[in-house]
Amino acid sequence: MSVFLQQLINGLSIGSIYALMAVGYSLVYSILNFSNFAHGGVIMLGAYIGLYALHLLPNSFLGALVIAAFGAGLIAVVLEKVAYSPLRKRNAPSLYFIISAMGASIFLENLVIATIGPTFKTYPQIFNPVPFTFGNISVSRIDVLMFVIAAISLAILVFIIEKTKVGLAIRACSYSSRGSNLMGVNVNRIIFVIFLLGGMLAGVAGMLFGMKYTVYPQIGVITNKSFIAAVFGGLGSLPGAVVGSLLLGLIETLSSAYIASQYRDLIAFTLLIVVLVIRPSGIMGKITEDKA
Amino acid sequence: MKRKLALFVSIIMVLLLATTGCGGDKGSSGDASKDPIKIGWIGSLTGDQAPWGKCESQTVQMLIDETNASGGVLGRQLELVALDTKGDANEAVNAVKRLVSQDKVCAILGPNASAQALAITGVLESAKVSDIATVATNPKITVKDDGSVNKYNFRVCFTDPYQGSVAAGYAADILKYKKAAILYDVASDYSQGFMQYFIETFEKKGGTIVAKEAFKAGDTDFRPQLTKIKKANPDVILMPYYYKEVALSANQARDLGITATLMGGDGWPSDTLFEMAGKSLEGSYLVNHFDYNDPEVKPLTEAYKAKYGTTPEINCYMVHDAYKVLLAAIEKAGSADSQAITDALTKVQVKGVTGTIKLGEKTHNPEGKEAAIQKIVLNPQTGEYEYKFMQKYGAN
Repeated sequence: MSVFLQQLINGLSIGSIYALMAVGYSLVYSILNFSNFAHGGVIMLGAYIGLYALHLLPNSFLGALVIAAFGAGLIAVVLEKVAYSPLRKRNAPSLYFIISAMGASIFLENLVIATIGPTFKTYPQIFNPVPFTFGNISVSRIDVLMFVIAAISLAILVFIIEKTKVGLAIRACSYSSRGSNLMGVNVNRIIFVIFLLGGMLAGVAGMLFGMKYTVYPQIGVITNKSFIAAVFGGLGSLPGAVVGSLLLGLIETLSSAYIASQYRDLIAFTLLIVVLVIRPSGIMGKITEDKA
Repeated sequence: MKRKLALFVSIIMVLLLATTGCGGDKGSSGDASKDPIKIGWIGSLTGDQAPWGKCESQTVQMLIDETNASGGVLGRQLELVALDTKGDANEAVNAVKRLVSQDKVCAILGPNASAQALAITGVLESAKVSDIATVATNPKITVKDDGSVNKYNFRVCFTDPYQGSVAAGYAADILKYKKAAILYDVASDYSQGFMQYFIETFEKKGGTIVAKEAFKAGDTDFRPQLTKIKKANPDVILMPYYYKEVALSANQARDLGITATLMGGDGWPSDTLFEMAGKSLEGSYLVNHFDYNDPEVKPLTEAYKAKYGTTPEINCYMVHDAYKVLLAAIEKAGSADSQAITDALTKVQVKGVTGTIKLGEKTHNPEGKEAAIQKIVLNPQTGEYEYKFMQKYGAN
C-alpha cells in the first residue's frame, strides 16, 4: 500500500510540472489556434534567469522567482513580436506559425549553447534537502513547494481569466477573435497579454524545474510531454491542460510501476492515442465546430 | 573537361588503393635494411578532440625517443609518422592509406575515438597492417556482429561490456553483496552491454538481481523506477549510464530513502558530477580505466610533465600501454614485417601502467586486464568530494 501511495505522489509531482508548462501551450492555442513550440525555449531561459537571479539575490527565493517570471514573460512577448506578429499581419496559414515557432526554439537553444555554454548548471541549495517522511513514504520539500506554487500560479491565472475585464476579452477572443475585434476588443493587446502570462508561467515552471533537476540548454525537450498532456486534456482548455498533465504523470508512473518501466512511454502514449481517437478534442477540449 | 578530370582522379585513386592492397606483405620497413622502423600514429591534432590527440602523439614521440636513446629495437632506430585525423572518420581512412602506402609503417597506434577506429578496418585489412586503438571502447571495433574478429584491429582499453563484469565481480567478491538492482538506459548500447555482463557475472557468482528497471536518455524523473527498486531492497544499485542521469537518479534515490550502495563505470566522471550530486554519491564505487593516484601511474605522469610542462590526459597512459604492446610484438616477431607483428600481438603479455595487458586471439581486446576501482569519498580537509583509488581489479 505504501508503495502505491508513493507512486501516486511521484505521479502527481511529475504531473504538476507538466501542468505548469502545458497551460502556456493551451493559452496560446486558445487564441491563435497554433501550438507555440518555442514555449520550451522560454521555459529553458526562465530556468537560467532564475539561476542568475538567485546569484544576485542569494537569500530571496521569492524575488528570484518573480524575476524569472517577468524575464521569461518579456522574452515570450519579444518572441511574439519577432516570430509571430509579422506572420499574423500577413494572414499566414497556421503551418507557417508552427515552422516559425520551431525555428525560434532551435535559435534559443543554440543561443544559450553559444553564449552560456552546453554544460549543466546546478541551483544552489535553498531548501532543506531532507525529505518529509511518513512511514515508508517520502516527499521532497521541493515537490511540496512545486505543487503549492503551481496551484497558486494557476489559481491566479484562472482568476485573471474568469474575473477581470482582460480575462473576459481573452475568453471572447478564444471564442472568436474576429468577432471580438468587431466588437471593439483590441486583439493585439490581448495577444500581448496572453504571451506575457504564458511566458511568466514558463519562467516559474523553468525555475522550479531547474531547482528540482538541473539546468541545461535542452530542458525545453520536456515540454514535448507537456504539449501532449495539453492535447490530451484538450488544447485550448486551461482546466483540460491541468487535468491532462496530472493524468499523464499518473499514467506514466503507474504503468512504469505496475507493468514495465521500459514500456512507460509506449503505454502512456498508446492510451493518449486511444483517447484522442474516441474524443479528438481531448478530455475537456472544445469541439472545433462549436468554436468557429 | 570536368569529366576528364574526374576520370583521371578516379584512376589515380584506384591505383593508390591497389598499391595499398599489396603493400603490406613486404611493404613494411624492409627487414634486411638498417633503416629506422616506422611506426604510424593517427588521431586528432586539430578540432574538438585535439587536446587528447595532441597528448597522445606527444607521448608516443617521448616513448620513441626513450627507446631510441637506449639502442632501439632489433638493433634499429624507431621513427614516428603522426598524421592528423581532425576527429573525422574519412580523414582517418585517408591517413591510414597514406601511412601504409607511402610511409610503409609496420603498425599504427591510435586513433583516440571509436568512430575513426571503426572506419579504418577495411584499409587495414587490405594493407595487412595492424592498428592498436587507445581509448576506443565500442565492442564492434575488434569483434564484428557475427562474432568474428577484425583481423587487424586491436585495442588496449577495455570495452563497455567488460566494465559490467568487473563491477559485478567487485560487488560480489570484494564487497560481498548478494542482491543487486539495475537501473539502465534502454536506448544506449553502452548501458545495455554494461548491464548484460553485470547480470551474467553477478549471477554466476551466486548473487541475485532483485530489480531491473529502464528509462530512456533525456528522462529527468526516475522515482517510479526507484520506488520499485526500493521495495526490492537491494544491497547495490548498478547505474551504467552517463553523469547527468547518474546525478539526477542518485539524488532521487536518496530522496526516497534508498540507502543501497551505488555503482557505475567510466560514464560517471565529469566536472559537474559532484556539484550536481556529491552527497548522494558518497560511498559509491565506479569502474575506471585507471587512477591518477595509482603509484604505478605516477612515473609516467612526472616524465610527461617534465618534458611538455602540462598534465597529461588519459590518452597518455593508454597510448603508453599500446606502444609497450607493439614494442613487445616487434621483438617477439624478430622483424619489422607487419604481418609477423600482427601475428605476435596476441602472443605477448605486457605490464602497462593501466594494468597487465594480454590481447585475446578471439577478441583482440585486453583480456583479464585490471580496471581501477574508485570510491567517491568526502575529503574532510578540503570539504570536497573526490575519487579514492581502492584497488586494481580484473574480471575472471
